[in-house]
Amino acid sequence: MRALKRLLAFLISLLILSAAVFWIARLAPGDPLASYYGERAEKMSPQQRAQAEADLGLDRPIHVQYIRWLRNALHGDFGISFKYKTDVWQVIRGRAGNTLLLGGLGFVLIFSLALGLGILCAWFEDRPLDRIVCKAGTVLSCVPEFWLSLLLILIFAVYLRVLPSSGAWSIGDGGSAGDRARHLILPMTVVVAGHLWYYAYMIRNRLLEEVRADYVLLARSEGLAKRSILFRHCLRNAIPSYLSIMAIAVPHIMGGTYIVETVFSYPGLGTLSYESARYQDYNLLMVLCLLSGAVVILCNMLAQAVNERIDPRIRARQAVEEVSDRG
Amino acid sequence: MDERFALAGIRPTAPAPAAPKPKWYKGKPLLAIGFLAAMALGCLFCQVIMTKDPAYMDLANYARRPDREFLFGTDTLGRDIFSMIWSGGRVSLAIGFLATAISTSIAVAVGAASGLAPRWLDRLLMRLTDILLSIPSLLTVVLLQAVLGQAGVMSLSLVIGVTSWQSIAKLVRTEVRQLRRSEYVIAARCMGGGFFHLLRRHLAPNFLSSIMFMVVMNVRAAIVAESTLSFMGVGLPLEIISWGSMLSLADNALTSGAWWIILIPGAFLAATLLAITELGSWLRKSANKKQSNL
Amino acid sequence: MEKLLQVEHLSVTFDGPAGTVEAVRDVSFDLAPGEILAIVGESGCGKSVLCKALMKLLPSNARTGAERLTVDGADIRSFGERAMQKLRGRVFSMVFQDPMTSLDPTYTVGAQIAEAVLVHQPKLSKEQVRRRVLELLALVGVDQPEARAKLYPYDLSGGQRQRVVLAVALAGRPKLLIADEPTTALDVTVQAQILDLMRDIQKKLGTATILVTHDLGVVARAADRVAVMYAGRIVETGTAEEIFADSRHPYTWGLLRSLPSLAAPGQPLYAIPGMPPTLSPPPKGDAFACRNRYALAIDYDQAPPMFRVTDTHFAATWLLDPRAPKVDPGAFEPDTGPAGAAPRHAPPAGEALLDVRHLGCSFRLTKDRSLRAVDDVSFQIRAGEIFGLVGESGSGKSTLARCVMNILRPQSGQIVYKGVDVCDPARARAHRRLLRQDRQIIFQDSASSLDPRMKVADIIAEPMAVNHITPPRGTLREEAAFQLRYVGMDPVYLDKYPPELSGGQRQRVAIARALAMEPSLLVADEPVAALDVSIQAQIINLFKHLQAEHGFTFLFIAHDLAVVRYLCDRVGVLYQGKLVELAPTEELFARPRHPYTKALLAAIPIPDPRRERGRPLFSFDGTCLGAQSVFAQVAPGHFVLGSGEPEAAT
Repeated sequence: MRALKRLLAFLISLLILSAAVFWIARLAPGDPLASYYGERAEKMSPQQRAQAEADLGLDRPIHVQYIRWLRNALHGDFGISFKYKTDVWQVIRGRAGNTLLLGGLGFVLIFSLALGLGILCAWFEDRPLDRIVCKAGTVLSCVPEFWLSLLLILIFAVYLRVLPSSGAWSIGDGGSAGDRARHLILPMTVVVAGHLWYYAYMIRNRLLEEVRADYVLLARSEGLAKRSILFRHCLRNAIPSYLSIMAIAVPHIMGGTYIVETVFSYPGLGTLSYESARYQDYNLLMVLCLLSGAVVILCNMLAQAVNERIDPRIRARQAVEEVSDRG
Repeated sequence: MDERFALAGIRPTAPAPAAPKPKWYKGKPLLAIGFLAAMALGCLFCQVIMTKDPAYMDLANYARRPDREFLFGTDTLGRDIFSMIWSGGRVSLAIGFLATAISTSIAVAVGAASGLAPRWLDRLLMRLTDILLSIPSLLTVVLLQAVLGQAGVMSLSLVIGVTSWQSIAKLVRTEVRQLRRSEYVIAARCMGGGFFHLLRRHLAPNFLSSIMFMVVMNVRAAIVAESTLSFMGVGLPLEIISWGSMLSLADNALTSGAWWIILIPGAFLAATLLAITELGSWLRKSANKKQSNL
Repeated sequence: MEKLLQVEHLSVTFDGPAGTVEAVRDVSFDLAPGEILAIVGESGCGKSVLCKALMKLLPSNARTGAERLTVDGADIRSFGERAMQKLRGRVFSMVFQDPMTSLDPTYTVGAQIAEAVLVHQPKLSKEQVRRRVLELLALVGVDQPEARAKLYPYDLSGGQRQRVVLAVALAGRPKLLIADEPTTALDVTVQAQILDLMRDIQKKLGTATILVTHDLGVVARAADRVAVMYAGRIVETGTAEEIFADSRHPYTWGLLRSLPSLAAPGQPLYAIPGMPPTLSPPPKGDAFACRNRYALAIDYDQAPPMFRVTDTHFAATWLLDPRAPKVDPGAFEPDTGPAGAAPRHAPPAGEALLDVRHLGCSFRLTKDRSLRAVDDVSFQIRAGEIFGLVGESGSGKSTLARCVMNILRPQSGQIVYKGVDVCDPARARAHRRLLRQDRQIIFQDSASSLDPRMKVADIIAEPMAVNHITPPRGTLREEAAFQLRYVGMDPVYLDKYPPELSGGQRQRVAIARALAMEPSLLVADEPVAALDVSIQAQIINLFKHLQAEHGFTFLFIAHDLAVVRYLCDRVGVLYQGKLVELAPTEELFARPRHPYTKALLAAIPIPDPRRERGRPLFSFDGTCLGAQSVFAQVAPGHFVLGSGEPEAAT
């Protein structure tokens, strides 16, 4: 029952999202024909234009277009990319792996490192280690991602010439694992360094909040060691909010990945979304927006479900809130 | 009888000597405030500081290293970077504040409405906010900017403002819900305080202080967004000088190894962001003073 | 006999942003095995800090100094965290005030007790641990331990939770149990059960106990010896009998006299004047002098040493010096509020100002579960009357108050105020100006009872500003100053913010705000529950005095029968949303009929150890409530919820 409700909420969210993107995209003044026919679009006669628009379904009112798109989408047909002139999934499939590698691995790295750093800082609260990490984190989190990328390129690719400055693999080298890894180092560094500190700091503060709770005193007075209190009790109490933070972080990290992809000309979904938005490649744009929306909403729901399992308070708290809200 | 042992009863006690007032600057992020003030003044009065016309393309002197004449060097179009920093800072900071003003207004309106609304409306508003939050804002910004056409200072501020209000709105909503339940608000309602009285006297002063941090951080995020967008070529065009559009020449600079074109505007950008962050965390720090139990 | 705990000249200071606070000053005491020592004092007197200092649980900004601190023969002054870990739980253990927060919400209670067991016996097998957990739960009086062990803390009631905390504390078989206000957060009828349980455990296991409390009544039931603390010092110590029958320190006199149960009916409560001092830095001389009617000249100048009364009884007051004049503690004038006790006129038997008819209010908890917070409650309050409403947590008393004030809308029934049915939105709207100005509410003192960002002057003037009333004394500020003086506060407080005030002062401000509107009906929802005993008495006296002056009708809500006795003309008792008994105050106290009222009355502690200890508990489990449905008059003005049949004599 609960799962069904969730699924319904998920689908409705996607529907609203798709409608919003559809409308906004169609409002843009650009010429979608240009992305399909390229140079030729400008030379077309009015009749040809009308014919071309009818071919692509662009001559109908927006809501009709949307309904048609929706009907096709439900049959698994998301249309063709105007720019690449193939099925959008084909285009996306070629790029998704790269983004997954950069964003997914970055996400895992950020959150495992953030957890570790957060715990370390909470344990050494206000001692030199904590202060240094916090300060360094503040400084690094103030550096815009694109500029950090530029700096790294300047140092490692232009001056030292030890690492490649763009792409996912070298031309000619068919993408051996070592080559790909070398191409991944700089973008990955930026993705991780741009977000790590913020989340580590959040974990630290959340843990410090827990450390000030009464049950810590009880646990200490029964003779439990500090370490086991921190790991067994405080961490367990902090995990639900950690998971929520992770879920909220998904779009941020995704956005960060997209920027990094663009700077490093990394062939992933980020560069693709950017192109499709700039050149009014509607079908491709729709799918990309829905894809990122779906990932984010899914993560949110997942975090909520896991939270309810871990923390029995949440259900109770919801009931209480409902009662006290009537005031 | 010893008079020291006479019954004295309750004597009015002298008030305890007031603790010496801490100096006004104690605990305040002086360095950050000073830097921001200097930047703001420099940008406001850039006409006085600038040594060259920042828009003038001195094609004879393109990509010059920093020297006496061009303090920070020139970019690949031959413009003087020192002068551009100040006139560009003006644009970047203006966008930061304008965008924040827009997003904060939207956030307060949506958050307060959601916090005060009946439950079903609250749920609906928050669900919508969540959906909007789920699209990477870079995408929405690019889309919206495409709708609005060629970017200018106003249109870019609008786009950034319209896409960055969600998390403040969520915070405002939580705060308002909490405040609504607090007894002083209930008491004010009992004595007949209307909606606007509550908003002006109780809700606004109490939630404003708690969203102050988020608002300051929003200024920071808006400046980052401007520079990122302009850098990527979807924000301000080259002719409108801002820290972001200055950096959009980075590609040419990288190939020619002109580090100053990348390093100097970026350093100003990062330092400003850092100062804003310091200011923000100082605003937040007041609350949690409890000592560790561990 | 070898002492279990010896403390000599223990001091604790905190370094804070506002300077150094001397929380505990030069405290010495000892404890024999199996003994129960009660440490009594008001909030902020340093009693909790003292306990944490004994277990070395203080935060890192605290500095502790002592000439001697031995526990079970070991000098723990130099012990580090690791050595202390070995002692904690096995030698001494602690129970905290709020059972809501002192258990980890994410583990079942069984798992938490098991954890405490395993700390000291890591080699036990799973089965052995399980058996030990059940044994502990049974020891602390949790019935159905098997089932309860699988529950999470929030599934349990407050009393049950405190029993679990006790089980956790006893898991390592400690020789000394330190209980920091273990009953304060609990309902009055549960308090006595927990105290008896602690006494029981002491008898069974021989555990010595330090019982920290602000309530002398609690002490009479449980303690062998008593230490009274004030402003960081122990001012008097002796056996329970000595303290209750022959106390020597003026502060102890004050505490004893402010117990509501000791006050003679109709007499104003005794209140210690003034407020406890701040301890950064502590005042010169005796910290209590400025609140002490018997202060000697030397008290303002030099702190008194401990004088010996008997071998077990010591007190730190210059009154015990041979050179001091003899005083008689019985003769002091009661503090009667700002203008002396106005004689209380019997309320006119006029018509009802407020008529509550068959009121029902329920909340939906989940889809299929709802809570009837107020269930078919009817009563009337006559104009000029003080009506008390007593009930424990969950009795629906606050819901009722909120319904009366139109904050909540009840599902059924009527509330008629001055002939207007306030539950009818149209009628209430038509009379809203009258209703707003005529009815005022005061809440329990808490962080949210006054807006922390408004000055006192603005808070008091708020109702006038809202209703656009021209203040009778010129400006709003002058009016606020007048009202503030009227509730006994100096106008210098006009420009302060609520967080800068003490609890009692905040409550006075709330009263001033409510009275500024000259209301005909004042509703006070637990206005004294969060205050210290001596401050409680001040506020109750103030209420009584103001009511006599203004003649407003007063609905006073409390969880404790003792405080309503002096104040109220009639009392209603609420239990789980139902009004179970309603009678004139003296009638109710003299001839309670409903078993729940009897249980509440029995829960008022008698401040005499010999009588209190032997007294059997009178507990009420609500089982007989189901069949009772008739609210019948058993004597003039005395109604009881019953089955309708004549009651058997008890």
